[in-house]
Parts: sequence; C-alpha cells; structure tokens
Amino acid sequence: MSGSPKTVDYDEVVISNNDQVPIVVSPAEKWFNWLEQANIGKWSTVITLLFGIYVRWNVGLNPYSGQNIPPMYGDYEAQRHWMELTLHVPMNQWYYYDLEWWGLDYPPLTAYISWICGKIGSIFNPEWFTLDVSRGFESEESKLFMRSSVLILEYLIYVPSVIVFVNWWFADKSSKKRRLAVLFILLQPALILIDHGHFQYNSIMLGLTIWSLNCFFYEYDVLGSVAFCLALGFKQMSLYFSPAIFAYLLGKCLKNKSQGFILFVKLGVTVVITFVIMFFPFLDSIEHISQVIFRIFPLKRGLYEDKVANFWCAINIIIKLREIFEIHVLTKISLFTTLLAILPSCINLGLNPDKHRLIYCLANSALAFFMFSFQVHEKSILLPALPITLLILDESFWSSWFNNIALFSMFPLLKKDRLILSYFIVWFMWNWMGSFVQQDVKPIVLRYISWASYIVMGVIHFFDFNIAPPKIYPDLYIVLNVTFSAGIYLLMLFYFNYRQITLPYNLDEKKGKRKAE
Amino acid sequence: MLEDLLIFSTFIKILLFPTYRSTDFEVHRNWLAITHSLPISKWYYEDKSEWTLDYPPFFAWFEWILSQFAPLADKEMLRVDNLNYTSDATIYFQRATVIISELVLFYALKKYLTTNNMKNKNLLNILAASIFLNPGILIYNGFLYGIFLFSLAYAKEGNDLMCGIMFAVLLNFKHIFLYLAPAYFIYLLRHYCFRETSEQGTKKFSIKHFLFLGVSVIIIFLLSFGPFIIMGQLGQILSRLFPFKRGLCHAYWAPNFWALYSAMDRVLIVFAKRFGWTLNESAIGSITRGLVGDVNFALLPQVEANHTFILTLIFQAASLVKLWKHPSYKNFLVSLILNGYSSFLFGWHVHEKAILLVMIPFSLISADNIALFRSYIILAVSGIYSLFPLLFKLTESTIKIVICLLWIILTFMGILSNLNYKRNKIIKYSQNDESKLSYLINIIENTYMYGFIILQFFTGIVHQVIYKDGKYPFLPLLSTSVYCAFGVMYSWIRLSIIYFLGKNDENQEENS
Repeated sequence: MSGSPKTVDYDEVVISNNDQVPIVVSPAEKWFNWLEQANIGKWSTVITLLFGIYVRWNVGLNPYSGQNIPPMYGDYEAQRHWMELTLHVPMNQWYYYDLEWWGLDYPPLTAYISWICGKIGSIFNPEWFTLDVSRGFESEESKLFMRSSVLILEYLIYVPSVIVFVNWWFADKSSKKRRLAVLFILLQPALILIDHGHFQYNSIMLGLTIWSLNCFFYEYDVLGSVAFCLALGFKQMSLYFSPAIFAYLLGKCLKNKSQGFILFVKLGVTVVITFVIMFFPFLDSIEHISQVIFRIFPLKRGLYEDKVANFWCAINIIIKLREIFEIHVLTKISLFTTLLAILPSCINLGLNPDKHRLIYCLANSALAFFMFSFQVHEKSILLPALPITLLILDESFWSSWFNNIALFSMFPLLKKDRLILSYFIVWFMWNWMGSFVQQDVKPIVLRYISWASYIVMGVIHFFDFNIAPPKIYPDLYIVLNVTFSAGIYLLMLFYFNYRQITLPYNLDEKKGKRKAE
Repeated sequence: MLEDLLIFSTFIKILLFPTYRSTDFEVHRNWLAITHSLPISKWYYEDKSEWTLDYPPFFAWFEWILSQFAPLADKEMLRVDNLNYTSDATIYFQRATVIISELVLFYALKKYLTTNNMKNKNLLNILAASIFLNPGILIYNGFLYGIFLFSLAYAKEGNDLMCGIMFAVLLNFKHIFLYLAPAYFIYLLRHYCFRETSEQGTKKFSIKHFLFLGVSVIIIFLLSFGPFIIMGQLGQILSRLFPFKRGLCHAYWAPNFWALYSAMDRVLIVFAKRFGWTLNESAIGSITRGLVGDVNFALLPQVEANHTFILTLIFQAASLVKLWKHPSYKNFLVSLILNGYSSFLFGWHVHEKAILLVMIPFSLISADNIALFRSYIILAVSGIYSLFPLLFKLTESTIKIVICLLWIILTFMGILSNLNYKRNKIIKYSQNDESKLSYLINIIENTYMYGFIILQFFTGIVHQVIYKDGKYPFLPLLSTSVYCAFGVMYSWIRLSIIYFLGKNDENQEENS
C-alpha cells in the first residue's frame, strides 16, 4: 500500500465558509466535493448543463398543454400558430388576422422569433406551418421540433445569462458556491415544467432580464436597458420588473450629480430607439399601433380569468368584488393597490441604487404585481420566482420555500396538462439536491410554519387524488390551493420588503474590495 | 454517498418513464401473465405469444412473485391472451419493478466496494456511477448483474463457497451466464477445492470442499429444475432455453467476429462479380434483409453452430490455462472477461446486449492501470455505441447522447485524471526502443475513437441526405456494427496481450 495518496472521505469534509456554517451537507454539495476530489471539478458546470438537458428533455416527452384536445388545443398551439401566421401573413396583418384562433397577443419580438422558428421548421417539413390548414397540427416530429426550439433558445439565452450572473454575484465566494448556484437555478422546477412541459418560451424573457441585470452589474447601463427593453418586447409580462429597473436607473442618475443628467438622457434615448426599432413595422398608422397595444394589454377582460393565487382571487371567497364594482372601477382599485404595494421597495431602491438591493426590489415589485394587478395568470408567478431563485444561496430557506409554493400553486394547471409524474419528480429532486426542507432558519418558529405548509400541501394533494370534490364546489381543491398559496405569498411579500429595507448599505463596495484583494 | 447515488438514480430513472419501450415490455408482460394464470406444468408449453418463456425457472418464479403485486396496478395485464396490452398502469408497474429489482445491484455494488481494500475510493465510486447509469434503460438487467456482482464480491472477499452458490443461482435466472462458467469452474476448483498444504506451495485436493460446493450447486439446480424434471418436462425447457434454429447473426449484427466475416463476404461479392468467380447466388441479399433466419455466405465457407462452439471453447481454454496455474482473484476476473469476449466474438446468434457481459466485469479492473484503462475505453465506447441502434427513435437520441456524454465525463475523465500520476511512470518505461511503436499505437487508437464522431455524423445525417430515396437502408447499421466490431476485437487482443505477457500482476501492484 506504499505510495498511495491520502484520500479524505468526502462525507467528512466540512467546507468552512464565511457566511454560515451549513449544518446539513446537501447531496448537491457532496456531489461537487466528490467531483473536486476525483479531479474533475472543472467539469462540474458542464455536467450540470448536460444534466439540465437530460431533465428538460425527459419532461418534454410528456404531453404539452392541449395535446390531443380539440377544438382549441392550448398554449402549444398558440406558439405553433404564431409561427404559421408570421410565416405566411403579411406583417401589417399580424395583429389582425383571425383573432379568434389564438390571435397574436404578445409584443413583436415574440413574433419575430416565431418567424425565425417557422422558417427553420419549414426546412424540415413545411406541412407543420401551412396557413390555416395546419391548425391543431400534431405529429411526433413537429413536437420534437417545437420542444427542441425551446431547449435551444433557453440554452442560448437563459443559461449563459445565469452563469454570468452567478459569476458576478458569487465573485468573492468559493467556486463550489458558484457551481451549486448554477445547479439550483437551472433546475428550478417551476420554469422547467412550464417551458418544457406546458410549453412556453418564458426562459427567453427571463434570460433577457438577467442579461440586463448582468449589464448593470458590470456598469453597462445603456446596454442593460436595451436588454430589458427586449425582454419587454418579447413578453409584456416583464413589466412586473420595470418599476424596480426604473427605480434603480433613476436613482443612479440622481445620485451622480455631475454625469447623472447625461446618463438619464442616454437611457431615455436608448429606450425610445429600441422600442421604435422593435415596433417599426407597426407604426404606419395610429390605428395600427393602438390595435397592437390593445392586443397586448387586453384590459377588457376581467380582474382575473382562471383561479390564480393572488389577492383578488383569494379575497373573492369573502367579498365578491366583481359583483359589487364595474370593471373600470376594479381596474383603478387594482392599479392603486399595486402602486401602493411596490412603492416602499421602489423608493428604497431609488434612494440607494445598489445592485444587491436591485434583486430584492425585483422580487418585491414582481410579487406585488402578481398579488394585486389586473388579469394575472398563474404562470406569472415565474416572474417573482426569477429574482427569488437567483437568491437561492443567500436566502436558501425563503427562496426554496417560495419556489415550492410557486410550483404547488401551478399544480391545477399541470394536472390538466397530464404532467403529474414529472411535477413530483422534478420538484422532489430539486428539494432533495439542496436539502432545502432541512434548512436552518431563525427564528425557529418559521421552520415550523414552513413544515406546516408542506403538510397542508400534502393533505391537499392527498384529497385531490383520492376523494372527488363535493358537487356543489367542484373547484374546492383549486380554491383551497389558491387561497393557501396567496396567504403564503403575502407573507413572502412582507418578508422580502423587510429584507430589502434592512439590507446593509455597503454590500456592493464590500464585494468590490474583496474582489480587489 | 452511495445512498445518495441510489436516490439520484431513482429520480433519473423515473424521469425516463415516458420514453420509448422496447418489445421487452411485452415479453415480460406476457411472462407475468403466464406465471400468474397458468399452472406450473404449462409455463414452458404456453405459446400464444411469440415471446415464449425462454429463461430458466428461477426467473419464471421471479416473474411469479412480481405478478402477485400486479393486480394493485392493473389486473388486465395478467391475462395470457391480452397480447400487446399497454395501459399506463401496466407500464408504470413494470418500470417500477425494474427500479425496485435494481436494489439488488445497488447492494451488490455496496458490498463489492466495502469488502475490498483498493487504494482509491473515488475510483470505485466512479465505477459505481458508471455501472449504475449504464444499464438504466435495459429491463431487469440491473437485477441480474447485481447477483453477478454479489458473486464476484464474495470471491474477492475470499468466500469461494458463496461465490459459487451465487453463480449457480444466477445461472438459474439467466443461462447466458453459462458463457462465463468455465472461468468459474477452474477458479473454484483451483482456489477452493485445492488447498495449500505446506510452505512449498504444493496444493492438495480437498474432498470436503469439493463436496460442499458440489452439493450446494446441485441443490440449487434441483430447486430450480426439480419440479420440471419430475413432470418430465426437462427436454421441453431445454429446447426453449437453447434455440439453435436461429441464424448465425442477429438481424442487426452484433459487433463481433462474424460481423467482420459477413462484411468480408460482402466485399468479396463485389470482387467476384468483377472477376467472374462462382458465387452462391442464394446468399446475395440474404444477410441484410434483417430476418432472424439462416445466413448464407456467397464465397467464404459456411459457418455451423458447432464451428462457433468450438472456436469459443478454444479461445476460452487459452485464457483458462493461466488461471489454472495462478488462481488469483485478479486472474480470475481477467479470464472471466476473456471468457465473455470469446463467447461474444465467436458465439452463435449473439445479441448486441451481451456486450455487457464483458463490459461490467471489465469496468471493475479498468482503473488499475493505464494499459487496462485504454483497452477498456475502446471496448466501452464501441460497445455502447453498438447499442445505439437499439434506441433508434429521434426523440430518444438526445437522451442517449446526453447520458453517454455524462458517462464519458464521469468515468473517463475521472479515471484518467486519477491515473495521471501513474502516467509519468509510463513515459519512463517507453523511453526504450518500443517508444515509437507505442506512440504509433496511441495515434491509431485515438484516430479510431474520433472516428465515432464521423460515424455518428454519417449514420445520423449524411446517409439520409445522400440516399433520400431509401437506397441502401442497411448501410448505417452495417457500418456501425462493422466499425464497432473492430473496436471490440482490438480491445480483446489488447487485453489478451496484457494478460498473457504481463508479469504476475499481484507483485506489480504491491511494488508500485
């Protein structure tokens, strides 16, 4: 046995770090320790990325929303139809063409990307996108094409943005922390299930948002605002983030006495130019542009459509707001409450425009929008989930709890899509990897509250699977789910506001210093 | 850590639930139905389905046990005449039983890893990971290889009796392991039945040990075949277990010697046509039609079942001679591998999945030194690649490529970087006259490995573009199996050279 290198058992390795000593060594941590000891540490992220493809692809083998459900099918058909539409209909008809069949109601960047996807797809098989004839087209190959388009776009936009983000955010931490963060962020269950299971392209919008954050981190504010405008131009939902971004940039302009005004002008001009370029084909008449805007913001629809875990839907159990007020009054009420809810965090950020606060403020603003604004979809929870997931190692207890609730609140949707098995597996795997449920937190009572919430989730699932809801309340379980989730979200909203406001003021400087050392 | 690996692999296997199902599903569903609803006396006679029961009795009992739980999922699957029944519940049930049965593999691995005194624990864990990921897709194989590993673990521990018993049990689950029986026989005979008596190292035959082993093996076989012998069905079972009516090569050629032989014949046909040699006309076009029937050769001599049998035995015997002289555990393992090789390369109607019979024991020694490691890489890559056509659907290609990449990174990079400190030694060795030769060999081997990328490119894309009209549909499969056959043959020769020419490995290990 001479000459054999001394090896340490990885289970016993306790990595000391500056922030907190982890009591539970999670499987993910053990895994990276082990890779390090096997001398393949530098491959860690590659392995994570490959594993990410594996998980996404397997989720993608399941049915998509509306698969095999005529006459209208689902979100998948909407995306496919837009490819068909942009490919064959002249550009000035895009926002008018047969609006009853999944008419285009996303901003132009979505349309452009659909056009590119349609072009590429037509090389393989033009039948997938024949005008009108291909409505509700379903085949193994076209599904394969659509699924891979989501995967490829995500790996081109979202995944690199996360890696750059993590490299900046944890620049002063160990490389293991960075690897862990990449793993947890990329395996966030909610986004995987919605994009690759239900079928949407949220990761493009979220990726563009992270790219704008990355630009802000490295002080390319103009470029960052372009990226954020692109996110807005891809999906209007990213408006949820805009108060935070606006507050950050405005605060920066105000703080810098000498250059502030020039920066302000530069940013303003950039935003205008970016939007003009994106909307250029639709600017030929007032009527045209108002049609586009009307399609993108359908204010005539109700306060909310399906059951969604926000304030209005939850309070509906007690007060039937929709019966008391006219729709335009409701619009004003919801606008007012939303503004009220985002105000504290935005003012706080505007006065102290630093980068750590920005992430918290993004979470607060998006969550406030989700809770109080008009026409919210259950999938919109992905927006607050983004900044909160980015904080997965800083706030691991709250971030993981939030993600678990977020996924749970989408259960009715995923159940409809026949994704139950993937839902449980992806969810449990993520929690297991991070040992999130065993996370330590002070005060200890929070831990018990979170456990209680998991028990409630388990009970609701149990009843959902085993006992049919009473005939008078066919939506009983969904209402329970939604009300319960909304309650926890409200708690989260308070917590993240509290965190943002009590955040130390010198985190950015500290990081700069440590980096310099 | 091993427990984490178990949980993790369970997650990734459940994720695979919606993927492609091979005919194996119907095979095993049918067997569940047969064992559940028919009396024992009919198990080996039932032939409503083309997938008749053709595994030894222990496996039939295993299916019977599983079938006791099947009604929990879906009773319908247990009807014998319910052919090609695939409800969701049936599939989930079958996938779940596979995952649960692989617990055997898990505990076998755990035992193997804890009973040894190998130097580098990390290496072994890499192996664990690789073995675990590897058979993930194939049905119930994990379970069988688990028993196999148990028997190897006992051998390593020095508990030869248990090793023999486990192997006998294994044989009664799946008779393909008979291919490895010669090595077991010699090893147990020389290592267990002959005991060292004095300092001179002479060995004496121990009747007590021989009886122990013999009686326990016979009892196991009686447990398994006994009831059928009483019912007078032995002949029927044997005809099911050893169907010699099938052809030399499987529809898709396994990458073995006969693949090269058949390819050679194809090449000769071209020459024959040009030079006007006489041909066996009936042979042209027979082999590539994909029928599981007899194969005729146009120019080369015909091959009969007994020819392959003799060839296999000759090559197996060669590896056993050294084992006879030095019955150490290490030599046992290598001759096991060589036995597997011989039967895979020269056997009759070999299925490409049988390459696992070689790869799994080989992976256990692959981390020992760089020479073994290089042989293993070549075998593993060509062996795994040859399995690719089994998962032929486009949807699954992403999964199989991703799994293979992960596997390559974990296994190869991991072992390679651990072997790096040994590599310096290799360089020192090669500063004599051989250096140029070994350099050349390295280059050829690397070229071969990179060739797989080109091959995948060709079979995946280029072929479809050139022959859009569907001409030469067999070309991708043919080139895959021939190319892989070279790799498997080469790694076999390489290992044989290491084994026969290498000094006594035990001493080398101690000195290093």
